[in-house]
Amino acid sequence: MSMIASWIGNIPDFAVPFALAALGLILMERSGVLALGAEGLLLVGALAGVGASLVTGGATIWALIIAMGAAALVSQLFALMVLVMRINQVIAGLALVFFCQGLTGLLGTLMDWTNRPVSGLSSYALWPLSELPVVGKFFIQNPIVYLTPIIFLLVVWILTRTVLGLRLRAVGENPQAADAAGIPVLAYRCMAIAAGSALIGLAGAYISVLSTKMWIADMAGGRGWIAVALVIFARWSPWKALAGALLFGCIEALIPQMAASGIRLPQYFVFMTPYAVTLGVMIWVAIVSRDNSSQPGALGEPFIREERR
Amino acid sequence: MFDATNFQPLLARRYTLEVRQQMAWYWQALTIALALLVGLLISAAILVAAGVPAGELLNEFVILTLFDSQSLRAVLFQAAPLIMVGLAGCLAFRARFWNLGLEGQMIWGAIGATAISLFEVGPPSLRLPLMMLCAVLCGLLWALAPALLKLHLKVNEIISTLMLNYIALNFLLHLVYGSWKDPRDSFPYSPQYRAFERLPELFDGFSVAVLLAMLVALFVLWFTGVSRAGLYLRFVDNSPGVARAVGVPVKRVILGTVLLSGALAGLAGFMVTAGQEGRLTNSFYVGYGFSGILIAFLARNQPIAASVVALLVATLFVAGRSLQVFYQIPFSMVQLIQAILVICVASSEFFIRHRIRRIQGGLG
Repeated sequence: MSMIASWIGNIPDFAVPFALAALGLILMERSGVLALGAEGLLLVGALAGVGASLVTGGATIWALIIAMGAAALVSQLFALMVLVMRINQVIAGLALVFFCQGLTGLLGTLMDWTNRPVSGLSSYALWPLSELPVVGKFFIQNPIVYLTPIIFLLVVWILTRTVLGLRLRAVGENPQAADAAGIPVLAYRCMAIAAGSALIGLAGAYISVLSTKMWIADMAGGRGWIAVALVIFARWSPWKALAGALLFGCIEALIPQMAASGIRLPQYFVFMTPYAVTLGVMIWVAIVSRDNSSQPGALGEPFIREERR
Repeated sequence: MFDATNFQPLLARRYTLEVRQQMAWYWQALTIALALLVGLLISAAILVAAGVPAGELLNEFVILTLFDSQSLRAVLFQAAPLIMVGLAGCLAFRARFWNLGLEGQMIWGAIGATAISLFEVGPPSLRLPLMMLCAVLCGLLWALAPALLKLHLKVNEIISTLMLNYIALNFLLHLVYGSWKDPRDSFPYSPQYRAFERLPELFDGFSVAVLLAMLVALFVLWFTGVSRAGLYLRFVDNSPGVARAVGVPVKRVILGTVLLSGALAGLAGFMVTAGQEGRLTNSFYVGYGFSGILIAFLARNQPIAASVVALLVATLFVAGRSLQVFYQIPFSMVQLIQAILVICVASSEFFIRHRIRRIQGGLG
């Protein structure tokens, strides 16, 4: 019983990075930019968060904000590649990931930020929910966990209820028509890339500053790619992505629980499960829904004004 | 000559972007070469900022690698598996298949080769060919699933191949930390291969791996350039819809090419374990997956060009290792330099395809 309780209590910790990263990706992809760089931006956020904590000495909230800014800054390289230079978005996304892997590996070593503990944030109980039996621990979390649904509400409200969001989606569906209506397509895409990347940076900083409480090279460990798969699974809908993130949080939170409770399973097979589940979910989505109607119409296509069709 | 009628103050000048029709090939080559130079200069600046003396850098990359016969052999030796993954990338990209699973296929190739060695399959004289065959088959089979999923269910191959990488990696760790661990010490690698299970030297340190890589490069050149499948592949690459309409068996061509790509990656895994390492280790594959993509991209999917680019990347690998030893520069530096080169060369396409022209006259 206590095992189930502590498992449920750990779910948000694992789900939040997936949720925030997927939300950031949805924001970008709604503007028509195919964003494969999440894995790299997670690493940038993770390193920047730990670096900022170590340098400033414990101001965790500032560390998270700096991590968001760092990811948004690095994402402008991607924006330059796909918006100005019109590089194939798959190549640009892959290049961004490897750029970030190299950069964070190098900086982490040079600055000597590897394996050094940071303080993190303390947890707050959401009384009276935290007094519930079994699920009570679900409601004793750090502030960022409570902030995540609010960020989701905010982003969904902006996307669906504001002129800004309407224009953003128009840019992603039909950039030619949006351009004719006087919407600056590239400016909107650039904005979406920066905002989405900031969310992914926050997700990365969550992993390093709040979950692991240290920086380890390549610590994103494929979570960025799983987030990309999550977006496809969620059909570019934020709420479905949140549900998917919870599902992945459940699976990832189970791994340390099983080790702790003494169930003897080959550990590397257990470590495979998130990736195997992702693969399974991709196959399931492919079998169940053959239509791509919810995919942004212009996803992955560069907008080239001089080649207007 | 100063022409007053044409003069505009700097801030009032206006430029437009035009799409070029065609650029002469030598201008294209010059643009790409310039982009590479810019990328290398940026990388050099980063290395100097990271604490490598500028003079040493020149020494490390140019003199040591090109004028020292031992280093040159090291570069050639390192190039062999890189040529394999580069060719694997070329093939997959020609079939419009983003095979990011090169590392997973390499891992399976190495596991297959090591299994033959561990369980002593076949007589010693046949051992090496058997290991090679098994590596090729394992790599091929690991590419089969994402290929079928893409062709029949339209499952995004970028995600599926990457997930399969992580699964293969964890299986590798399961083996080298578990039942395949060398019983003599506790390091995460398999027992050493016997002498007849290693790729031999032909003469004077020149490994058979290099010869093998050259032969495979020639085979891929024949496959893409001469064979019927290669002709079909060009159709599919240009326009899958048209190819289908004129009766090309599109799915079969793509499937075959992707499987061949996986097979070459498996062979690369065999080359690293049977050539360089002499055993299965827990991290032998690091960096090869992206290098394969980079090599194919820079070579524009041309097999011969890929072999040349692979040599350059091999120089980077060898120099990167010595930087790691002498200046504690992490190996991720190699990844960073590769990414910078890709970004620079990809950006140069912009100047090949566009022309920036100043608008003459007018008030701006």
